[in-house]
Amino acid sequence: MLHPDYRHTRYVLHWGYNLTNAGGNKLCWITYPRQWLEAKANGARAVVIDPRLHGVGPHTDDWLPVRPGSDLALALALCHEVISQGAIDVEYLTRYTNAPFLVGENGRFVRAEGKELVWDTATGAAAPFDQPGVRPALEGSFVVGGARVRPAFQVLKEHLSRYSAEWAADICGVPATAIRRLAADLVENARIGATTVVDGVAVPYRPVAIHTYHMAQQELGFQTVRAMLILMMLLGAVGAVGGQQIDFTWTIHANFAKWDTIQVKDPPYNVWLESSKYFPLNSNNSAVVAMVLQDPQRWGVETLPEVMIVHMTNPVLAFGSQKDIIDGFKRIPFIAVIDAWLSKTADLLADVVLPAATLEKYEGPSSAGDLYLDAVAVRLPIMEPLGESRGEIDIYLDLCEKLGLLFGTDGYLARINQALNLKDAYRLPLDRRPAVRDIFDRWARSQGLDEGIAYFERNGVWVKGKVPPTSRYGYVTSPPFGGVRHRLYGESLLRLREEMRAKGADEVFWRDYTPLPEWRPPTMERSPAQYDLYLVTFKLIEFKQARGTQLPLVAELAPRQRLWMNPATAQARGIREGDEVWVESHNAVTGETKRIKVRVTLTQAIRPDTVGLPHHYGETARHPWTVGQGAAAAELLFTGPGYVANTADQSFHTKVRVFKA
Amino acid sequence: MPRYAMTIDLSRCMGCRACMEACKVENATPEAHFWMYVFRFEEGEYPNTRLSYLPRPCQHCDNAPCVKVCPVGARYKREDGFVLTDFQRCIGCRYCEVACPYGVNYFHWKEPRKAQYVDWGQDQGTRQRAAGQSPPWRKPEHEQRHGSERRLTVGAVHVKGVMGKCTFCVQRVEKGLEPACVANCPVRVFEFGDLDDPESPVSRRLKQSPHFRLLEEVGTQPRVFYLNGAPPSAETRQFYPVKGGKGA
Amino acid sequence: MTTRASALPYGVGRIGRGAVALMVLLLLVAAVGVIAYVHQFRQGLIVTGLRDWGTLGGAPWGVYIAFDVYFVGVSFAGITVAALIRLLNLQHLRPISRMAELLTIVSLMLAGVTILADLGQPLRGIVNLFRYARPQSPFFGTFSLVISGYLFASLVYFYLAGRRDAYLMAQQPSPLRGFYRLWAAGYRDTPAQRRRHERVSFWLALGIIPLLITAHSTLGLVFGLMSGRPGWFSALQAPGFVVMAGLSGIGHIAVLAAIYRRFLPGGERIDRLVFRWLGMFLLILGLTYVYFTLMELLTTGYAGTHKEQELARLLLLGRYAPYFWVAMGALALAIALNAWQAFTGRWSIALVVASGVLVNITAIGKRLLIVTPSLTHGALLPYEPGAYVPTWVEVAIILGLMAFGALAILLFGKVFPIIELAPETERERKEALA
Repeated sequence: MLHPDYRHTRYVLHWGYNLTNAGGNKLCWITYPRQWLEAKANGARAVVIDPRLHGVGPHTDDWLPVRPGSDLALALALCHEVISQGAIDVEYLTRYTNAPFLVGENGRFVRAEGKELVWDTATGAAAPFDQPGVRPALEGSFVVGGARVRPAFQVLKEHLSRYSAEWAADICGVPATAIRRLAADLVENARIGATTVVDGVAVPYRPVAIHTYHMAQQELGFQTVRAMLILMMLLGAVGAVGGQQIDFTWTIHANFAKWDTIQVKDPPYNVWLESSKYFPLNSNNSAVVAMVLQDPQRWGVETLPEVMIVHMTNPVLAFGSQKDIIDGFKRIPFIAVIDAWLSKTADLLADVVLPAATLEKYEGPSSAGDLYLDAVAVRLPIMEPLGESRGEIDIYLDLCEKLGLLFGTDGYLARINQALNLKDAYRLPLDRRPAVRDIFDRWARSQGLDEGIAYFERNGVWVKGKVPPTSRYGYVTSPPFGGVRHRLYGESLLRLREEMRAKGADEVFWRDYTPLPEWRPPTMERSPAQYDLYLVTFKLIEFKQARGTQLPLVAELAPRQRLWMNPATAQARGIREGDEVWVESHNAVTGETKRIKVRVTLTQAIRPDTVGLPHHYGETARHPWTVGQGAAAAELLFTGPGYVANTADQSFHTKVRVFKA
Repeated sequence: MPRYAMTIDLSRCMGCRACMEACKVENATPEAHFWMYVFRFEEGEYPNTRLSYLPRPCQHCDNAPCVKVCPVGARYKREDGFVLTDFQRCIGCRYCEVACPYGVNYFHWKEPRKAQYVDWGQDQGTRQRAAGQSPPWRKPEHEQRHGSERRLTVGAVHVKGVMGKCTFCVQRVEKGLEPACVANCPVRVFEFGDLDDPESPVSRRLKQSPHFRLLEEVGTQPRVFYLNGAPPSAETRQFYPVKGGKGA
Repeated sequence: MTTRASALPYGVGRIGRGAVALMVLLLLVAAVGVIAYVHQFRQGLIVTGLRDWGTLGGAPWGVYIAFDVYFVGVSFAGITVAALIRLLNLQHLRPISRMAELLTIVSLMLAGVTILADLGQPLRGIVNLFRYARPQSPFFGTFSLVISGYLFASLVYFYLAGRRDAYLMAQQPSPLRGFYRLWAAGYRDTPAQRRRHERVSFWLALGIIPLLITAHSTLGLVFGLMSGRPGWFSALQAPGFVVMAGLSGIGHIAVLAAIYRRFLPGGERIDRLVFRWLGMFLLILGLTYVYFTLMELLTTGYAGTHKEQELARLLLLGRYAPYFWVAMGALALAIALNAWQAFTGRWSIALVVASGVLVNITAIGKRLLIVTPSLTHGALLPYEPGAYVPTWVEVAIILGLMAFGALAILLFGKVFPIIELAPETERERKEALA
């Protein structure tokens, strides 16, 4: 998730992320519309980069309708343009990234005594990167130990040289002039070199940022997000005032430390293919799990799960490739679904459904901060659970108790003590089962609230205070950026690639493990020419998730599935508003096709070569409002090579053809 | 006597339609009745497409055509500006509906409780769950007479064969609350208040921002002011319009 | 069936097999209408094809309002003919005077009931429309003026005009003698009474004319004052309504007159001149209406608003065009038929009757075309266009009402002479009884 420092920004790219729907996994994202409006009132401008002019359209200044799957090309071209305009933040790149690190011909950093080397312009020789007084070069070609070396930035610059705006224009389907203008606007607004004072602290001021989320969920998604980040790094906007925020703290994330130590192991693997030669970087995609379950031998998996708990999620509709999900998960002997509704997953796959409460339970604690205010919220029960549903904490306490895992020094209760960081005085006793409210009460007291959970019951949200700039902006956190060098050049990816090859993985798995993002046409482009349209999927603001479609008050606003289509495209196929059509997708790797029937709605806010299907629909069983609502987007999507990223992340793109039913 | 009005800031609206749902929950309107409606518009041709949103409550006009044509005076204008419907007097002729240029009127073509989204009466499961509970569309506090004129005008009492429309949540305003749409908007698109009070939110917003009223040329003199936007033109069209009910 | 030596005039008291069959048929149609209305009363107007315009894309006014206007329109003719006979002393039209008045009365009652059928709360309507009547509302003119004023005045006129015949009918024994005496209420046909009768009728007729013009104009104003409704908002609505009213009413009279002339004993008193006069009237009114329509279309086409022009296009070329051209074609044909007869000087009853039927097709078509298209396609805000298809309930109720009307006229003619008793007939009668 990349998001802007809205309070101070001046130029934002809404890249694939629909601000009006404001979805996301943190509470503060609900405040994004308000934050953006305030930014706009302060003169900020924005561009939407999306095959669809999605909801935030009225509040932005321009729309770049990129071809689906081509975001990487655009990002690379923007990097190219920025570099050719000489607009790079030398200071940031030199001090806080691995841009000056010397790279050998083999693509690896040059090291001496375990330390990466840079070329010191002061002395005219190589030196360790953290040597005091060193003045590293970003560009140039040097000789160290008889071998040619270049700073990583130089490698990047040469690598980007062919990714011009003209080159990208064809691929992205937007004019080169628009790409160049966008780059120029970014450069102008980035104000490289400027500083500003926030709450008495001087911080670099780079008021440009990208707002994006789930951009990684396309075949080239991983490298796409990297390229976008590299763009922001070139401008020095990462962690600056008005610029690019990555997450909410600059402490080193556990995942980050792991990267250098990721192993590519030999089989057998687990069902997630963790540390496998297929997906050493692994985002744990359930569709991939389903794929593995269908043919474990092919993936080198021997131990298969016997029990699966599906908790408040609906893989059959949400995770792409419905067919594979159903087929794969059916092979798990026992599936329990914990959910607040009879989802399609529950209906098709569950041996047991444990009904869960939604609003009638304690849940949390959740961060309710918005970058500027630190706050915590706890979901409080507004009434007793309806019917036989129960809060999930209760469900898990029950399960653990019956399994004999609840009590004792390594039991579930002990883990809760640890996870909630409960102070000694408030730790849960390990021999008796607590009421859920009591757990939260102890947590609240551990946080220093004398009233305990009653504080939340009275006030709803605990506002802990302002987040000081020294916690917010990486440049001035202590130490800056948590003490790490940002990775412009991804050497670890090269290492992983070499290990994957050595272990005999197919090219399709390691080809995107490149230290710098490289463009290649997405696999879906190999589908035959008759599949001439791209399918993209999106969320409707009315629903958020599929369960909304069974709530009559909101379902009434969007009662049926619809294929969103450009009027010119429809007219060329003799299709009119409301007509029923077949949509057929094609897997360019396996040749498999899938079909659904759906009605069309026309809009000028989508590329002529693209059609869009909202998620949410898919006919859950028996509910009077959802019967006949229409097909799920997941019925058309694929998983597996070509339709997952190099990180196993699911791609929600495919090529389709559309014709009148 | 306050002179109530509403401002709607089009530069803030996200088209989320939360106001439509808030109105619905507050006034328990039956299926397909949208006393508050939000247009989602598009104009132009790809790639020069422009999107915009336009919330459309009742405009509570000063020169309201619906008030003028009501044969029995069931639709009337209060001194403070509210245009309300006395559902005890309304005979269901629907003249107000054809006279209104804004399309804010919704007639109860059938028994309203048969169009309240869930079959509260027949379905056994629902009956069990809801045993002893009052259905959510029933609001006893709405069943009283309101205003100094003491008439039955408030939302959640729906009668077959009479007309309904946005009431500016008269039952909430009388208690010093804002109308439901105003209170629930996540980005504060709406303001509601007294035009005669220079410090009221509506007065202040009107001073700050350029504004227009819908269909000004028809002469209805609405009490709803749209800030920072433009009225729909002949080229404006809805995309993905809402019809209500289970749709097609 | 009469057992007297001499029968009552004009078929009064005689109900032949044909009449019975007709009455049974009408009763059946009326019964279906009643069933339909009961269904609608219980379920609500949801059983019709009417829906809210705007987000729901329907038409809240449709067949009921169109036929309400139509029935009021038809009522125009009756009292106009009667009044004109009085005021201009058109003696040769006297034979159709009473049926014309009766047509007015029956038609106005049908109009009133149609309005009630259209109301969501009809029982309330009956009370509140009178209790809370607001003159500021054009609807007031439609309902209160029309029903209270116009109908009442017509009933009074009808009653007064019939007293003499009631007295004459009471002269001979019959099962209905008591009824006739009641109606006559002391009228003795003395020269003094006759003179006063004529004078009262004259002034009543004179007073009714402005009332009827007002009533029809306010009906037009119901639509014409709606500044927010493209297609309705026009100064020509009221005059157009008056002219169309005349057309439909005269057309009805022509049909009625022809039927009575053919089937009623003594019906030949309705001579060809009557039809010539009716035909001329139809011709003049028809040409006037065409003129109005042309002016309306010209104005809209030249300088109408975007929506008005769109609606005009729908009417002339778009989805409503078939209905428009059928309606106007019928009018054109009716004009042509009467123009031809006027030009050649040879009047055929069949052709005049045909033109009478045609103009009623025009009237019904135009009423529907006034009511519905502006509602489905005339929104000033960018709503989706709508659609309206009436259901069996609406059709059944309208047909049922028409059946009731026909039945009422038929039955009336069986208990009271539908044609004014002429002095000659009376003298013959006296001689016969002597």
